[in-house]
Amino acid sequence: MRRLAASVVGAMVEAAAELRIHRTRVLLSLIGVAVAVAALTTVVGLGTVAQQSSLESYERSGGRAATIGAYFYSQSGEPMDAASLASSVDTVVDKYRISHHTSNGYANQRVQLPEGVADIPFQLVDVDYAVIHRLTVLHGDWFTDRDAGRFAPAIIINEGFWNRIGSPDPRTHPTVELTGADAATAVVIGVVESFPGDTTSSGMMLTDAFAAIVDPAVLAQQPPSYEFWVPEETSDQLTTLLSRDLEAMAGEGVQVDVNRQDFGASGEDPFAPIRMVVTGVAVLILFLGALSLVNISLVTVRQRIREIGIRRSFGATAPRIFFAVMMESVVGTVVAGVIGVGVAIAIVQSPIVQGYIAPGVIDIPPFPVDAALIGLAASVAVGALAGLLPALVAVRVRVIDAIRY
Amino acid sequence: MALLELQGVTRSVRLPDSSVLDILRGVDLEVDVGDHVSVVGRSGSGKTTLLNLLGLLDAPSSGTIHFDGRLVSRLRSGQRDRARGADIGFIFQQFNLLPGRTALENVQTPLLYATGRQFWQRRRLAAEMLDRVGLSGRMQSMPEKLSGGEQQRVAIARALVRGPRLILADEPTGALDIETGTTVMALLDDVAEASGAALITITHDTNVAALARRHYRLDTGVLTPLDITRALAAALDVPR
Repeated sequence: MRRLAASVVGAMVEAAAELRIHRTRVLLSLIGVAVAVAALTTVVGLGTVAQQSSLESYERSGGRAATIGAYFYSQSGEPMDAASLASSVDTVVDKYRISHHTSNGYANQRVQLPEGVADIPFQLVDVDYAVIHRLTVLHGDWFTDRDAGRFAPAIIINEGFWNRIGSPDPRTHPTVELTGADAATAVVIGVVESFPGDTTSSGMMLTDAFAAIVDPAVLAQQPPSYEFWVPEETSDQLTTLLSRDLEAMAGEGVQVDVNRQDFGASGEDPFAPIRMVVTGVAVLILFLGALSLVNISLVTVRQRIREIGIRRSFGATAPRIFFAVMMESVVGTVVAGVIGVGVAIAIVQSPIVQGYIAPGVIDIPPFPVDAALIGLAASVAVGALAGLLPALVAVRVRVIDAIRY
Repeated sequence: MALLELQGVTRSVRLPDSSVLDILRGVDLEVDVGDHVSVVGRSGSGKTTLLNLLGLLDAPSSGTIHFDGRLVSRLRSGQRDRARGADIGFIFQQFNLLPGRTALENVQTPLLYATGRQFWQRRRLAAEMLDRVGLSGRMQSMPEKLSGGEQQRVAIARALVRGPRLILADEPTGALDIETGTTVMALLDDVAEASGAALITITHDTNVAALARRHYRLDTGVLTPLDITRALAAALDVPR
């Protein structure tokens, strides 16, 4: 035990001395490793941010995992009782204690704009829509329950619409005139971001507020669908139960389709391609980093053959020489790895980089711990791999020849 | 019981043309604790090969070597390494100090392979040994900043720091001028005698060999006792 402790400490002392004495060479060779580890960790870290960006994009369209959609169709073409369907939905929400649900419908609304009257598509939603679809407003506020009771309906408009009405501050309660049969004055309470490159105008309104200003026949012709945000582990079971209950309550002549509609609905991993690309790049970077270090380490060991011979003459055993050479390599690459991971964190967490890689991401993920661990593990692996060949060369040195070298 | 005993030791190597070259032939030698033996030989006589066998760095082609009563051929590689580290100190012609390390760090090097007190107190032990060889003022000097004599004194301190029972000196004055060489040899003899270690000096210089108590000649791989008086006279070309 005493011998082991002395051997381990002794090998570390030797490794530290070797790193100190050859600091310029070590520094130059480890710059390559630090860059490789930084690149590897950055790629993995940015992959996580890109994945989050994709995830949020999926969630904006299909809802978070798991979002179940319920769609109602009239089999006969006759109008449906929208209020009754809404009541059925409320019943199942209470019954299965679903935390978030929303209606989701569409209607064109004539709006008086400065340049004239225009048909603007409106999405009809409930308050929980923003939570389910991870939607945030750029300016102003999202709907609250109190907005359903306004005499002047609250609307939230996209950037295209907002620009057309002169980009007023929602805090000043700007209004727009809804014209036609369902004329009303609507109050703009918020602005949401348009998709990149989208210059069209659109708006959002609470379904209940819309129902208050339109003829009930309009909603009866095209009642909204509904979305339920449920725990993933119970989504399959709830899909079956909701389908059964809603179909039973909708009655004859109404077809009800209930299915999961978020990105996880297909059962396939939508991020597999991203992960494959990231892994491929990371492995390539690691390989190149290891290759350059092995090269330098081999040359270095050949230069140190006499020193190794001298050490052997003083009683250094072959395993001790092997361990010392390995330690030099691993200690150096771990230091380089820590620096590389630090650089990677600075890069990945940079707002400029994040804005470029994942514009519009709401929940910017913290620097992924697994990326940092992968970076450190890679640096240890590179050190071990790069140290292995030189260490084998070192223990095969013939002491006599080495001292004369 | 002799500290080191060689019986009928031969060492031969196979040359690229498949012929066999006998470097050492039937070498018999006994060295006791506190002994001082010199081996004189010309270049190519097999001196360094003999040194490697004495230092457990090489194995004989035939014959036996006993070190401290143990048959060396029966020791495993690690046991030989540890025995060498604990009981044998080397002094080389070219000093072979480790570059980039101070005199103190060089002397500490063998202690890195020791255990117990020798390992944990290596700095103090190394400093004491450098003080013994008169280099207490040059402990932090790099080898390239030391003179040849000082470098060899550091090498002597390094060879003796673990308290070996056998010191092997390979042409210890070969890279030094006559005056410095004489001083270094006197120091080596003193320190070896004070520590009770056996000293084997391998040299081509009969004046250096004469400092030993027993003298041998190595000629074409054969070790024979040497009449040092005649050898000195021959070296000085004094008519008998």
